[in-house]
Amino acid sequence: MANIASKYAIVGVGESERSKNSGTTPLHLALDAARAAIADAGIDAKEIDGFMSYSEGDSCTSHQVATYLGVRPKYVKDISGGGSSTEMLIADAISLIETGQVETVLIYRAMNGRSGIRMGGGGWSTDLLQNAFEGGSFIIPYGAGSPSQWFGLFAQRHMHLNGITKEHLGHVCISAYEYAQKNPKAFFNGKPLTMEEYLATPDLSDPFNKHDFCLESDEANAIIVTSAKKAETLKSKPAYILGISARQCVSHAHYWQNVDEVAADYVAQDLYKKTGVNPSEIQVASIYDCYSWVVLRQLEAYGLAPKGQIGEFVAAGNLKIDGALPTNLAGGMLSEGYTHGMNNVLEIVRQVRGEYEGTERQAKNHDLGICTGWAGPDIAGAMLLHK
Amino acid sequence: MSEQTKVDYAKPIPLKTIDNAPYWDAADQHKLTLQKCTDCGQFAHPPGPSCSHCGSSNVVWEEQGDQIFGEVYSYVISYRPFLPGFMPEDCPLVIAVVKLEEQNITIIGNILDCEPADVKIGKKVQMVWVDINEERAIPQWKLV
Repeated sequence: MANIASKYAIVGVGESERSKNSGTTPLHLALDAARAAIADAGIDAKEIDGFMSYSEGDSCTSHQVATYLGVRPKYVKDISGGGSSTEMLIADAISLIETGQVETVLIYRAMNGRSGIRMGGGGWSTDLLQNAFEGGSFIIPYGAGSPSQWFGLFAQRHMHLNGITKEHLGHVCISAYEYAQKNPKAFFNGKPLTMEEYLATPDLSDPFNKHDFCLESDEANAIIVTSAKKAETLKSKPAYILGISARQCVSHAHYWQNVDEVAADYVAQDLYKKTGVNPSEIQVASIYDCYSWVVLRQLEAYGLAPKGQIGEFVAAGNLKIDGALPTNLAGGMLSEGYTHGMNNVLEIVRQVRGEYEGTERQAKNHDLGICTGWAGPDIAGAMLLHK
Repeated sequence: MSEQTKVDYAKPIPLKTIDNAPYWDAADQHKLTLQKCTDCGQFAHPPGPSCSHCGSSNVVWEEQGDQIFGEVYSYVISYRPFLPGFMPEDCPLVIAVVKLEEQNITIIGNILDCEPADVKIGKKVQMVWVDINEERAIPQWKLV
């Protein structure tokens, strides 16, 4: 791959209102988010010639969004995918810009994730589920139908081998909830969490209790990707992309086949090789957090905490605003909202830009940030952003 | 070894497919059969249209008998049912990844009739077959 370091940037981010019951369609939410990102970038909608989205069959099409922004784009693409799809679509956008297909791309995720189709909500046909996953008939008949159970199988062994305790998971949650108290738009704003409360909460899928689960929300998020050259003509402050590893996977599509292997391990190597960055240089992070443990496993994969001491790393408060690696500063999916990771992308862009300068929400050091995506243990993507 | 046959089994029943039918057919006979590659010599689970280790199409089925032992590789304990057919009274439900050392594969199943607190990584388990209706049986596990 050509060296794309700092040749591309995220120039605009935006979100719709966040709620538990939007009372409207994903298309309306997508348009709200897109307009916010367009205003943030200071770009004319007609200058956007590529539109992309990802969904789990619960969204609207890019063609619809472009149409109702009054734009006729050169390129539209809607993929099926959850976590790490943002990173993949950004890499796709870069490739399309690099080859002259388009100049500027808007990427969005829109969903009525609480009032509409719920990811962990059940009600799915079990025959459909058996066919939906590789080796589905080897898990669904045994009652394993929730990501909390699937990821829990990975978590339990990893925790056992690495001395990670329930309390360590609690530190991830408490840090996220603490950030939510500073973010008026976070669902758990006004609902702080203490370790005592956390530990007293009964498990749903041991090792996880409800605090270890991400939220469900109705909302849309959007970002705008363009070349550094184009970014210079816009009024907004760009977050430059130093490098990206789009979407790697583990060695078997039935990912339970090896619960010791996660895709982030491959992504991390690739990302650091492409950028020459040492993980110790990273100052601020958005780590995909569909479950608390997923953060711990990625801190290990990306070398952001020493292997074997990840529990101690979070217990020491290192994910907090004054820690070594302020992480998920808007509260993340554990306490802000849930758009399959895109809300975390918005936050890392804002942090790297220094958008909260002068407030208690800004990470002190924010020149270099990492953003990770996790579709499951099986698929991952990540990027490094700088100011 | 079979449990009492349940009438009107409401939980999901494993769907037999072109790739997995021999496994489930053997389970119906209370035996374990596994897919093996004659090129790389490795067992693969779950089975597939070709070898998941090396891609070879030369895969065969090898019966492992009915005395199957393994150890708990990982597990979750579910306190809430997440799928149709699973009821609150099925909880706590122990879902385990069981490692078969000799074959170097893992199989997911439930550990039956145990105290959740007794389930630990590394514990020995034995495969048992549960008749779920007149034709079908599924492999499960019990602590040894």
